[in-house]
Amino acid sequence: MILSLEFKKIRRTGYIPAFLAGGLLTSAVPAVHMAARSQSFTGLSGTPFHILMDANWGMMAQLTILLIVCGCSLMYNTEYADRGALKMDTLPIRQVCLFFGKFTVNLICIILVLAMQTISVTLCGICWFPERAPAIAETLKGMGFELILLLPTMMLMLAAASACRNMWISLGAGVILTFTGSMIPPKQFALTQLPFAAPYQTLHTISESNIFPCLMICLAEFLVFGAFEIIYLYIRRKLS
Amino acid sequence: MNKHSFSPSQQRPAIGMASLLQIELTKLRRSHILWILLIPPLILWIPSALNADVNLHIEDINILPEYNFFIQGFMGMAWFMIPATLVICTVLLNQTERTNKGILKMLSLPVNTGKICLAKFLVMVLLIVIQMIFTISSYYIGALIASDLTGYDFVLSFPYAIRVTAAIYLASLPAAAVFWMLAVLISTPIFSVGIGLASLVPSVLLLNTRLWALYPMDYPFYVLMTEYGKQAKDIFTSEIRWIPLIPIALAVTILCLGAACLRFGKSEIR
Repeated sequence: MILSLEFKKIRRTGYIPAFLAGGLLTSAVPAVHMAARSQSFTGLSGTPFHILMDANWGMMAQLTILLIVCGCSLMYNTEYADRGALKMDTLPIRQVCLFFGKFTVNLICIILVLAMQTISVTLCGICWFPERAPAIAETLKGMGFELILLLPTMMLMLAAASACRNMWISLGAGVILTFTGSMIPPKQFALTQLPFAAPYQTLHTISESNIFPCLMICLAEFLVFGAFEIIYLYIRRKLS
Repeated sequence: MNKHSFSPSQQRPAIGMASLLQIELTKLRRSHILWILLIPPLILWIPSALNADVNLHIEDINILPEYNFFIQGFMGMAWFMIPATLVICTVLLNQTERTNKGILKMLSLPVNTGKICLAKFLVMVLLIVIQMIFTISSYYIGALIASDLTGYDFVLSFPYAIRVTAAIYLASLPAAAVFWMLAVLISTPIFSVGIGLASLVPSVLLLNTRLWALYPMDYPFYVLMTEYGKQAKDIFTSEIRWIPLIPIALAVTILCLGAACLRFGKSEIR
């Protein structure tokens, strides 16, 4: 019920078309890059997925994070604009359920975006590296890894959006965090595990011994931010 | 009779641009936008100052450490944060009025809608002036900390820092006009904001193509890179190519502002 309610709310906000357009845009990055500079990459050794991710993931990840920032800010803006949140408070629905409903909608959209990116990277591999067999399992593993790394960013951004009644504050905070995350040098393992910085990592570039800690840290951050949001919403409800 | 009241026969005084600007600025009083303007320069310069010693050990680029500190610190602002702040300002200026339909009250005033649109644009560019002041101040704080930590004088002359900052600011105005036009023409915020933010990501790539002048979002970074080229040979061109930059920048600014002023408030009036 919550999910259908959330999908109904975003129906006329342009949220779904924006995610589809964002997905297409991020998926176009490797294709455009390869079309413009294929000779710089076709001679490199390694699997097509690794080469394409090394060349394009930085830009793709940044666009995906910006998409999350815009999506989360807009989702709560529809609640706060014209006092929609007050009307929701009168319904027999808990605010926590609303929050996780919104998170699920966001997650579905991001899975869709990542699926489009996976198809794009695979097709680019087949098109520009025809002599090398496409490693489907490796591609799926790599993109699944990115999904887990994106979870804390999504949770933190949605939590920030839920706390800000004005869209420009949550959007501004999200953009500043995106900018800060992009500046963190990849050599500093601890800092790169923070939300907004973690998604720039790729599965094949981090050492094998760091993969498990990296996943665990991201899952822990995701759970901690989720728990903080539950406490925040409980306190806000009590104080209002 | 009160000296400020008007008889029906008297003509109502027209609201001038200065009054409109004042009205727009009053609306932003409790917006907390100053925090959004202040945090990025601090994030840029304070870590740079704490790691300033890396500027003393540059071997592959022939540049003085103080110029490297200044230009490297400014790169994030010119590439991402200034254009991103412009996008955030468009949201601020639009959403403050859309909440509780305040824009309808503004449009009911005896003022040309184009004038209101222009006043909002001026507020937007004024907010970027404030961010530039924060950036310069943060730079000098950072440079003083760096000088204290390393014993090397990182502080550049004030006229130089002001000149570069002013050039970057002026170069960001065409992008400001583009973002403002997008915000006015596209009433769905996710699209105007999404297009604005997505346009920032490839600006560095486009700067290295022949089409750089057609992409206003990379002008601030272009100006900074020419400054880099002046201080470090063979890094980038050291002279700004005024032609085609100036004609295209002027055309983009005028066309975008014109389109925004013509279309401002049209969807609400309907």
